[in-house]
Amino acid sequence: MAIAAALALWFGRGEPDAAPQAAATPPPAGPQFFGAVTDDGGLPMPGERDERRRQLLERVQLTDHTYCSYLEGSRYPMESRPVAQNPDQVYPNQSIQEANPMRVAGGGANNAVLLQTSQSHVYLAAGEAAAFSLRAVDSQGRTLPIVITAAKAQGMTYGASRPTPQVAVPFVDDGGGADPVAGDGAYAGVLAPTEGGLAGFHGTIRTEVRYTAGGRSGFALFDVIYTPVLPAAWTGKVREAIEDGSLNFHLGLEVRQPGRYVVSGRVDDARGKPFAVATFNDVLQTGTREVKLAVFGKLLKDETPAMPLTLRDVEGYLLRENVDPDRLLVPRLQGRVHAGRTRSLEGVSDAEWQSEERSRYLAEYAKDRQAARAALGEFDPGQPVPPSACASPPAAGSAR
Amino acid sequence: MKTILALCLFLASTLASATNYTLWINGRAGSGANGTPGDYNDFSYWGSSSIPAGVNKKAVNWDGRSSIASQSVRIRDALDCFCTGNNWCYIATYSAGDLLTGYTLANYGGSVRQPKNANPNANGVCGASGAPDQTGWNIKWVRVAAGAAGGSELSDIGAWTTSEPLVQDLKTSTSRAMYNHNVTRNIWFYMYAGARGTAYSFVLPGQDDEVVAYHSSGGVAGNAGRSLCNPGDWFCDDLRLGTETNQGGSSKWSLHSVQFRDDGEDYNHYGEGNWAGIIGVMRGAVVSSAQ
Repeated sequence: MAIAAALALWFGRGEPDAAPQAAATPPPAGPQFFGAVTDDGGLPMPGERDERRRQLLERVQLTDHTYCSYLEGSRYPMESRPVAQNPDQVYPNQSIQEANPMRVAGGGANNAVLLQTSQSHVYLAAGEAAAFSLRAVDSQGRTLPIVITAAKAQGMTYGASRPTPQVAVPFVDDGGGADPVAGDGAYAGVLAPTEGGLAGFHGTIRTEVRYTAGGRSGFALFDVIYTPVLPAAWTGKVREAIEDGSLNFHLGLEVRQPGRYVVSGRVDDARGKPFAVATFNDVLQTGTREVKLAVFGKLLKDETPAMPLTLRDVEGYLLRENVDPDRLLVPRLQGRVHAGRTRSLEGVSDAEWQSEERSRYLAEYAKDRQAARAALGEFDPGQPVPPSACASPPAAGSAR
Repeated sequence: MKTILALCLFLASTLASATNYTLWINGRAGSGANGTPGDYNDFSYWGSSSIPAGVNKKAVNWDGRSSIASQSVRIRDALDCFCTGNNWCYIATYSAGDLLTGYTLANYGGSVRQPKNANPNANGVCGASGAPDQTGWNIKWVRVAAGAAGGSELSDIGAWTTSEPLVQDLKTSTSRAMYNHNVTRNIWFYMYAGARGTAYSFVLPGQDDEVVAYHSSGGVAGNAGRSLCNPGDWFCDDLRLGTETNQGGSSKWSLHSVQFRDDGEDYNHYGEGNWAGIIGVMRGAVVSSAQ
């Protein structure tokens, strides 16, 4: 009931309101990132004029920030980025760990019990399995006894679709399978859709675990999105080459279903330090193809990683437009995929990425920045316009 | 002859004209009115259409219940219509619209687009403008109120009978694994996070607006379940402004910046069909900067 009420209220905007005025929006009480603009001197101005100047100054700040950050960020293509810009993509096969107050059957929570859960994967290709685990602890972090009363997986269907079979997922604490330590109070289970009644299901499979801990009944939900067919298979062939000033890894892929493939891989330096995330997003036709994961030349020159590089943890999918589920997973390549042999940066370019997209954006952002600066200068000729955070903008009135 | 010359000049000026638009991308459908998908002038979801909401405002309506994957086409149609060729867009989005926008940019933001003429048919699809194809769209920035790209724990407690495709997409682990949230094509996402939530605090970790916790509305990377709060709470890490690493070490997704944090706990999630709650805060910023 409480769940239904929560979902009913979710985004509920109450009865239709024909009020002609927008809800009163007083100046927000909380801090705003671009809002803390300080007047940098000059005589006090009447309130209205002061407010106008503040707005113009904010616009100068915003447009300058937009231009400068784009200039900086687009030195490398989207397909080849430093790991620092992908904080949650470095180790894609690390389990997803969460801790929440015990959710009790019928709604509500038992705040005296914290349920720690982990899930190995969310998206599964045909043949892959997901491991789940859970443990109950008290407010002091001490493990509490837990009894698993039921654990079943079922495909989520809608409307007139037939329900899928329910598949039991045994959760154990015997040190076997996905459970590393016997008798430690943490229970683990493995969902392998290929092996049961869900083998042909395409979509979200929900594993519902019911348990008792701290004298109450609770539940936990684990969702995975499973694709029962492989749209493509890796050939196992990987080659590396310096091409057009960048270091590229080419992975052989036998494409069975054509379409847009989105593939990503991680690149470590010779010391094992994560260095870059490389992405492929393009259309592939059927047949034996190559997926290019590039380490952009300037990124190599700027960061000077210890060579040679290693490619690891490659994952990808065929993106299906406008349908649900939207993807067919390619088998993940977990761990080291290719140990590079390139030790020299000879032939690697330190040129920034250039493209029609980048030129278009920089031209527009520069135009906006120039207009904002011109407006502020015109409004307040006696005050200098704040300096730019990057290269000096062109003089007022000049071309983009 | 003069007529032909005038027509040529008009056509030339039309082709060369550049227009800025402000696109409003809604969140999950609630109990209030919803805009008609494809009708870019229908602001029913948000409130009165007479309210200022940025230059040349357009309502990019989607059904608010189907999966993100199936509704992305609505966003792509709108972006093709108004954000290609010489035209540029500001984007304001809300809650699940954040997930939809991020998904669309990450998966399709580098695809080849055919510029359109900004004259939509009844289904929200525009005709070709004749300009050369381009890579991706023309977007100046994205502002996000109550962003749900990191999911909501309210989805995590969903039941079979009340499930719907979007609710499943908003399960925290699913939302965060759905696409690489750092891939915005160097376009900024400015986050507006409300904190006037009480009813579901037993489910939502840290500060929340009653539907979305700070870990999502603040654009925080990594696993969900992280408790983040306003400064002053000794038992909870601070959500920091801008791109700064949060107290406790968690970082934001790339190109995500917390523009507004609700230190006064004044703004909840609900727009109430009247541009209310955290939507109102974002709207104020949009009006002053989307010109």
